[in-house]
Amino acid sequence: MSSMTTPIAVGMVAPSFALHGDARRALSSSEARGRPWVLAFVRRWSPGADTEAIRAELRGLGAILFIVSDAGVWSFRPDDDLELSIAPSRQLRREIAALGARCGVGTRDDGVLVVDDAGIVRFAHAPSSELTSSLADALDAAGRELLGLPTRPGITRRDWAVMSLVAGFGLVLFHGCGGRGTEPAAPTTVVAKPGTEIEVVLRINGQDRRLKIDPRTSLLDALREHLALTGTRKGCDHGQCGACTVLRDGHAVNACLTLAVAAEGAEITTIEGLARGDRLHPLQAAFIEHDAFQCGYCTSGQIMSAVALLREGRSKTDDEVRQQMSGNICRCGAYPNIIAAIQAARKEV
Amino acid sequence: MKPFSYVRPADAKAAIAAAGTEGASFLAGGTTLIDLMRLEVMTPSAVVDLGRLAMTAIERAGDGVRIGAMARNSDVAMHPLVVERYPLLSQALLAGASQQVRNMATVGGNLVQRTRCPYFRDLAVPCNKRAPGSGCSALDGYTRSHAILGTSPSCIATHPSDMCVALAALDAVVHTRHGSRERAIPIGEFHTLPGEHPEVENVLGQGELITHVELPASPFAAHARYVKVRDRAAFAFALAAAAVGLDIADGRIRGARVALGGVATKPWRSAEAEQALVGQPPARATFERAAAAAIVDPKPRRDNAFKVALAQRTIVRALELAWGSP
Repeated sequence: MSSMTTPIAVGMVAPSFALHGDARRALSSSEARGRPWVLAFVRRWSPGADTEAIRAELRGLGAILFIVSDAGVWSFRPDDDLELSIAPSRQLRREIAALGARCGVGTRDDGVLVVDDAGIVRFAHAPSSELTSSLADALDAAGRELLGLPTRPGITRRDWAVMSLVAGFGLVLFHGCGGRGTEPAAPTTVVAKPGTEIEVVLRINGQDRRLKIDPRTSLLDALREHLALTGTRKGCDHGQCGACTVLRDGHAVNACLTLAVAAEGAEITTIEGLARGDRLHPLQAAFIEHDAFQCGYCTSGQIMSAVALLREGRSKTDDEVRQQMSGNICRCGAYPNIIAAIQAARKEV
Repeated sequence: MKPFSYVRPADAKAAIAAAGTEGASFLAGGTTLIDLMRLEVMTPSAVVDLGRLAMTAIERAGDGVRIGAMARNSDVAMHPLVVERYPLLSQALLAGASQQVRNMATVGGNLVQRTRCPYFRDLAVPCNKRAPGSGCSALDGYTRSHAILGTSPSCIATHPSDMCVALAALDAVVHTRHGSRERAIPIGEFHTLPGEHPEVENVLGQGELITHVELPASPFAAHARYVKVRDRAAFAFALAAAAVGLDIADGRIRGARVALGGVATKPWRSAEAEQALVGQPPARATFERAAAAAIVDPKPRRDNAFKVALAQRTIVRALELAWGSP
């Protein structure tokens, strides 16, 4: 997208903006007032199943989110409800096009800007249209890239907040949006008769996996028996041991208590989705470094819970970590080393 | 697991229609339903997945708060409105289950959570709740986890929820929809006592959908506490739990709320304990009198007689902590 001004780049002072449309009250970047903010152009987004996930994300980060879509402009405050700030109108479309141009985002493209609490652009992703399909992946990769810099000294709270924003929104915001393989679930009633198989598309570790299953199939069995992703373990099969823990839209859940068919439309992350090539996720490395297992059966579940724990960022003391990790049982009793690994990984990132 | 038809409706109207047939069951978080379906304790003919329904909002409603039935327990517990206005609810939710389960379980699902009585979960033995008329195995069984209040000769199963105990103390109202009919059910009238029909646990009709829960304005936020006593400090059901709130003015208790969990067949509000508190100065002696008044005509059995004293001490501790004594 050509524009008269220089496109925004990382390190620059963020553009201030005000969108009016036909609304009485403008929506402007000054609302962030010293908080980090995210400006997301997600053309096909509308409030839905991911709304609560986004809200939870913001709550942990104290950030404000502006979403620009074809259906209007929304603002999310961490301590408030979703608000449709400006309804679509011709005037709003013109303003959005102008703002997009300043950010280097074309009128049909998705893009995102992450601004820290000092008003500096820390992440900008404005893909050309042929790259749109990989927006979520690009965000996710960027988040991991930032998270995977454990050796960089003097990493600040501000850096951490920005990384969390990028990684977090990579997981939840762009799920099902922006021309990716997965369409948002059609708003029609789905029915499968008893004893018949149903076709489902599961989004696992950033890939769409199509499979035909009996509706009784748990997400755990779908992963292990149908997709050969056996890193997720079956322990009790009743939600009591945590060996089957995976991330659903970034949050730890028991795959054994989840029907696979009911997980359609969610972003599922398993232990196989953590490493980048040969580079282990910091928590995987920390579990090895701290000898945080003996037989290893519970380990993938422990690590997935720990990934969510560090991402959510609420549990800090050893006691808080123990409490949040209490859904993961280790029969070898490696708990002291598991806690040590988690606390060490927290320091690394 | 028995075969079932899976239905994922796009809106509440379709959900209510799909769940109207005998044997159909709503699926919310699945933490109870899928578990019990795998044991074949529950064998619904149709599972109506509520996952696509937009009922997750947590929002102001006047001076109160309105919580969508599909709001996750973890999101409710951490929501600033809940933390600020209803710390009791936040504490109770965080005392329940594991992080994974709290991330899945919903407010609506928690209201209809089934008991953890081991005989209910064991197909090999009689259970009036699971198979009406077959008998109660708990009566002559191991009763350490069972109820001492609200029991009947048919059933002594404990209501397992932490959340519902806080809701009972907070005068929550459960809102439902059934066809075009909507109703508002005070929490105290939502759950039913086992009596001769322990298979009936609440007043919902077949296909009646819980849409949201409303909490009225509460003067108890400053002095509220949920205390849960259990065999281990996390991920265990209550042996006894107390949800209390005090409204203190000029050195006197102006209003009080006391509800019990882990000891009764439904979330147990104690008007007797509340009466014993109102008008009195907040002090240990007052709290002990209230605790003594709370347990009326208990029916302890061989292995759970300790729950009488435990429940009373739990109430005293909760009141002390709510008041602010160390």
